Amino acid sequence: MSDTDPFRQETRAWLEAHCPVSQRQPIVREEQIWAGSRSTFPSEDARRWFEAMRDKGWTAPTWPTEYGGGGLSSDEARILEQEMARLQCRPPLYDMGLWMLGPALLTYGTPDQKTRHIPRIVRGEVRWAQGYSEPGAGSDLASLSTRAIDKGDHFVVSGTKIWTTRADVADWIFCLVRTDPDASKREGISFLLIDMASEGVSTRPIPLISGESEFCQTFFDEVQVPRENLVGELHGGWEVAKELLKHERKLMATMEAITEKVDVGLVDLAKSRLELSAAGEIADGDLRSRIATHLMHADALHHLNETIYRGMKAGQLDPALPLTLKYIGTTEQQRKDELMLEILGTDGLAMTGTDSLEQERMVRNWAYNKAHTIAGGTSEIQLNIIARRGLGLPE
Amino acid sequence: MILNDEQRMLRDTIADFLSKEAPIEALRALRDGESDLAWKPSLWSGLCELGAPAAASPEAEGGLGFGQVGMGALMLETGRTLCASPLLSSAIHAQAVIRHCASAEQIERRLPGLMSGDIVASVAMQEGSQFHTVPRSTRRDGNNLTGDKSLIMDAGAADYLLVSALGPADQLCIAVVSRSAPGVTIQSQRLMDGRQYGSVTLRNVEAEEWLEGDALDQGFTRALDEATIMLSCEMLGASRELLERTVAYLKEREQFGVKIGTFQALQHRLATAYCELELAAASVFNALLAMDRGEPVLSEHASEAKALVGDILQLLSNEAVQMHGGMGVTDEMDIGLFLKRSRTCNQLFGNSAFHRDRFATLRGF
Repeated sequence: MSDTDPFRQETRAWLEAHCPVSQRQPIVREEQIWAGSRSTFPSEDARRWFEAMRDKGWTAPTWPTEYGGGGLSSDEARILEQEMARLQCRPPLYDMGLWMLGPALLTYGTPDQKTRHIPRIVRGEVRWAQGYSEPGAGSDLASLSTRAIDKGDHFVVSGTKIWTTRADVADWIFCLVRTDPDASKREGISFLLIDMASEGVSTRPIPLISGESEFCQTFFDEVQVPRENLVGELHGGWEVAKELLKHERKLMATMEAITEKVDVGLVDLAKSRLELSAAGEIADGDLRSRIATHLMHADALHHLNETIYRGMKAGQLDPALPLTLKYIGTTEQQRKDELMLEILGTDGLAMTGTDSLEQERMVRNWAYNKAHTIAGGTSEIQLNIIARRGLGLPE
Repeated sequence: MILNDEQRMLRDTIADFLSKEAPIEALRALRDGESDLAWKPSLWSGLCELGAPAAASPEAEGGLGFGQVGMGALMLETGRTLCASPLLSSAIHAQAVIRHCASAEQIERRLPGLMSGDIVASVAMQEGSQFHTVPRSTRRDGNNLTGDKSLIMDAGAADYLLVSALGPADQLCIAVVSRSAPGVTIQSQRLMDGRQYGSVTLRNVEAEEWLEGDALDQGFTRALDEATIMLSCEMLGASRELLERTVAYLKEREQFGVKIGTFQALQHRLATAYCELELAAASVFNALLAMDRGEPVLSEHASEAKALVGDILQLLSNEAVQMHGGMGVTDEMDIGLFLKRSRTCNQLFGNSAFHRDRFATLRGF
């Protein structure tokens, strides 16, 4: 797609006109624009940027226009992505509904469910949480035990979900629940949408090693859920969940791009803090070599994404390739975080109370990003999938 | 690698040819034979008939027009069968040195022979046991040169050598040296990969001529980068072959009453290797695309590709031996041949550590 492509020209001009300069900086977590009735905008510029994108349907560029989406083809969406990257535009909206539930609803939802939920996701009016893991069901997700009893026009849900991201401020939650305890593990599960305002729902934030409490435990005590909130077939929730997981893994792999820009000064940080040789090179040859390896990997990961895209377009995609992205992306992010911490030296041991917010953020991210190789399918689960589905090794 | 229809056809043709003319047994025959041949003559003439030495060049320049991606796909196939030929030494590296370091008149005179494969040349740049790019003690004195060069691919069979030397102002000079010129002593040696390499002693040797291109330094670097990327393709092919052979073995070998491929410890080692392999492959492919786009400087791409593919080939060759168990250390198994080829490939044009250092310098840290 050349530079002179009219859609590219148009998009570039529109973004230049509508994206405030303050929204063209590498994103930091505090300034993300989250959906939901209880969310506030981090700044007036953030609000303007979000509203402009929302009105264009570009918070969900490829979703159908009848539901408020942008209706772009995959080629056009890619151009939009590239042009946003070129200007360093921040993502206009953050929401689990946008990343995960929406795509699954478009596939499995009833017309009524689509009409009720998708436009509100596009417009950022509802913040969604994900209710998958349970204290007793982590990697072995299918052993989940939150129970939904079928009462005809509604279900009664009891049990608990864990690692529900910001459930304390979420408006709705999509849940996997057990509707048939006698069926085999994967066959007795259904997919339910639950209003967090329902009676019997409560949440408890979980303090993390990063000092934050993004994750919650959510409790359901005989919560009544209307039958119209069942997505897919009764007992057919595992199908829907698999579709969502695909989107989650893709998301986790690009998390790095969403949360922080790749190069945020690893080299600059090292050069400003460490001893340099006469030639201006990092004197610690071992650290220098490990930084080089990380930068090469980060670069190659970008090329791998390109290869996957080109392969898809050319009909030559090795189906095993996309399976590698989550493992590689999250592992490399952690390698970078460890390098940052190492460069900071003993300064990096302070998580609060320093005079550098930037530095504290780096240290917090180091701790926070430990979750990335666990959430959305641990690295070990990813390797199982790569070995079996990618390499064809026996179960 | 994403190939177009023509490039896929080239790859399939070459793969088919190599399976007949240059299966791994051909390398064994070369290694174990009485003669000191650097390659099997019918293999090289066959590759030349297919146009392999000129596969990348545009048709207007007498090439086949498959581009560098096409050439890369071809080199990848040679890595899968450990094909011993002067493709890398002559058709790629020497050809690139002539293309980027010679005058227009010299190019016109020297390139056609290298492109047809009738003439074989090799580049002599390294001195001693560690790779480096700038000549150390090989000196030009008028029209003559003196020095010692090592690790020259196919040196004993080449029609001429392209020798890097320092001029009176320590500037880079490149001599065309005939193998039979007085003062030239070539010591040929089969290294662990079964191929022929030479060390050459030059004592006040009269050069046939000196390359007279405009920007020798940039040209010589460019040629090295191009050759490094093509070697990376060969190494990628060897890595893929090693992974596939090991996966196949794990699906077949039984211990404790089950296929050993069911063991998670082995699955995870191969799965991580696969991820690293695909990262390296994406980097190599990107380097080929950069060549085809005509990017003026390839050094970062070349160093990234060689370092990444060097690391994964090292890892996979070791893992392949280990996972083949006792069989892995027998000469009967081909795995050992890949192991030994991997070590020479890692050294050629600089190992991973060399390229990480070079990459860091290029990125300014």
